[in-house]
Amino acid sequence: MTKDMDPMFPGAIARGRAATRAALTVMLAAMVALGPLAAYAAGTQIYDSKTKKWVDYDSRKARQYYARNNQAPEAFRRQVVTFRTAERPGTIIIDGNQHFLYLVQPGNQAIRYGIGVGREGFGWAGIVRVGRTAEWPTWTPPAEMVARDPNAAKWAAGMPGGPENPLGARALYLYEGDQDTIYRIHGTAEPWTIGLDVSSGCIRMINDDIIDLHSRIEVGAKVIVLMQGAALYKGV
Amino acid sequence: MKKASSFYGTAGALVLLMAATTPALGADLVIAMPNWPSGQAAANILKVAVAKEFGLEAEVQERGTLNAFVGLEDGSVDINPEVWRPNLDDLIRRYVDEKGAVVLTGRGTAAWQGLCATEAAAKLGIKDIADLSDTTKTAALDTDGDGRGEVWIGAPTWVSTGIERVRANSYGYAENVSLVEAEEDVAMAAVDAAVATDRPMVFYCYTPHHVFELHEITRLTEPAYDAAKWKIAPADDPLWVSKSSAPVAWGPAEFYIAYSTGFAQKRPAVAKFLEQVDFSTEEVTQMTYALQVERKAPLAYAEEWVKNHEARVDGWASQ
Repeated sequence: MTKDMDPMFPGAIARGRAATRAALTVMLAAMVALGPLAAYAAGTQIYDSKTKKWVDYDSRKARQYYARNNQAPEAFRRQVVTFRTAERPGTIIIDGNQHFLYLVQPGNQAIRYGIGVGREGFGWAGIVRVGRTAEWPTWTPPAEMVARDPNAAKWAAGMPGGPENPLGARALYLYEGDQDTIYRIHGTAEPWTIGLDVSSGCIRMINDDIIDLHSRIEVGAKVIVLMQGAALYKGV
Repeated sequence: MKKASSFYGTAGALVLLMAATTPALGADLVIAMPNWPSGQAAANILKVAVAKEFGLEAEVQERGTLNAFVGLEDGSVDINPEVWRPNLDDLIRRYVDEKGAVVLTGRGTAAWQGLCATEAAAKLGIKDIADLSDTTKTAALDTDGDGRGEVWIGAPTWVSTGIERVRANSYGYAENVSLVEAEEDVAMAAVDAAVATDRPMVFYCYTPHHVFELHEITRLTEPAYDAAKWKIAPADDPLWVSKSSAPVAWGPAEFYIAYSTGFAQKRPAVAKFLEQVDFSTEEVTQMTYALQVERKAPLAYAEEWVKNHEARVDGWASQ
């Protein structure tokens, strides 16, 4: 199981763009059924209703969309969806492939949030829990980032919480047993990155959404990370 | 019992241990309860039904399978509601055939295991095991961007997971898809998310299971089980997967109620009643759904079940 620190830094978007993977060809019928936008297989795609074609949703288009609309495309906005599951209400299910985070609700429903994930997905699948949470958390760049990036170096001792802080308004710290996994679900200073594969590990949400999620969950909540990055399991 | 073993050595703990392994004062019989939902439902349904038909008070005790068999032999357990074959054939050989301490009812509930597809996968034409060898179809199962689909084959600790890997090698689709091992909760949540977005997914499945009540799921068709082609090497060989071959469906499985020989002599009418119990696979799936998804308390669900099936339960007792 590879667990990289999330760079969580404004420069991450350029690296994410360079790493954008080619979208796979899929059957139109299945894609239409997904609604106006699908993060199908590897790349994120948007259905253009004018040209009736699926187009890649990359960081450039995301910035343009956000500049025009001041919010992410509809599929990535917070919404209540039908979600049948045996998991208890309050459980978080993260689908990095489709860039959705579900918070299970009673009555076969879930609140679905759009997320930005790591370039290589979450890198692992499994069950963790929310070990602790923080409001406007301090961000401390990992040592290797401090070493290579002067912008990070100036925050080597920790960047105070605030609108420019890459962890955003709230952070949910994911634990495996009593151990911090170093993964977090957090807000972002880059709201246009929702729906994209950026940085290298953590789950990012727009600040409004992470504040909403934070207000609804309990410390100890079960978090299920789905099998994106399943190739890691080959040969197990 | 694993939990209880850590308490050895203190007198207080011994009292606790004894309390856990002997019938409660006043109980007429003990029913072992497995830690999975269908077994919990069945144990409680038998408890309620035995009280209704015979006026006997049954105590339900959670016990692992092996402990339940030990209890059936030493008299601390009277009934075990769910004994799987061929999984527990070794125990059955020892306690039923050799020692004569336990009786299996004659009427089993059918079960099966294999691979299943979500509705979206079926619409893409993935309906038979052979479709997994068609890369134009399996590419749609990709969730990590490497162009290969993923198929969940079970939890890492399950014996069945290794056999699914053997089957994938034998059929040849291990060449086309990535075989994923992960905990069942992760896989089932992946099925939930796939269905919620109408996305295709193929995964290991078995009955009875609540997933069939929760979602529209199709079992992939495949060549019927053939004992001559089912060549599974002993699992204590580290290379058993590569030395095995199984290009056919799993063999049929069944589960039975077991009761102790001593109990049958003491309560022949109840033993006769147990022989008549005929849960169907669908019913057991519904029981699993009620406990696992609807989160009904086992005893409350059992009371409701017996009330809703009163004539049938009466019929089991009047044969």
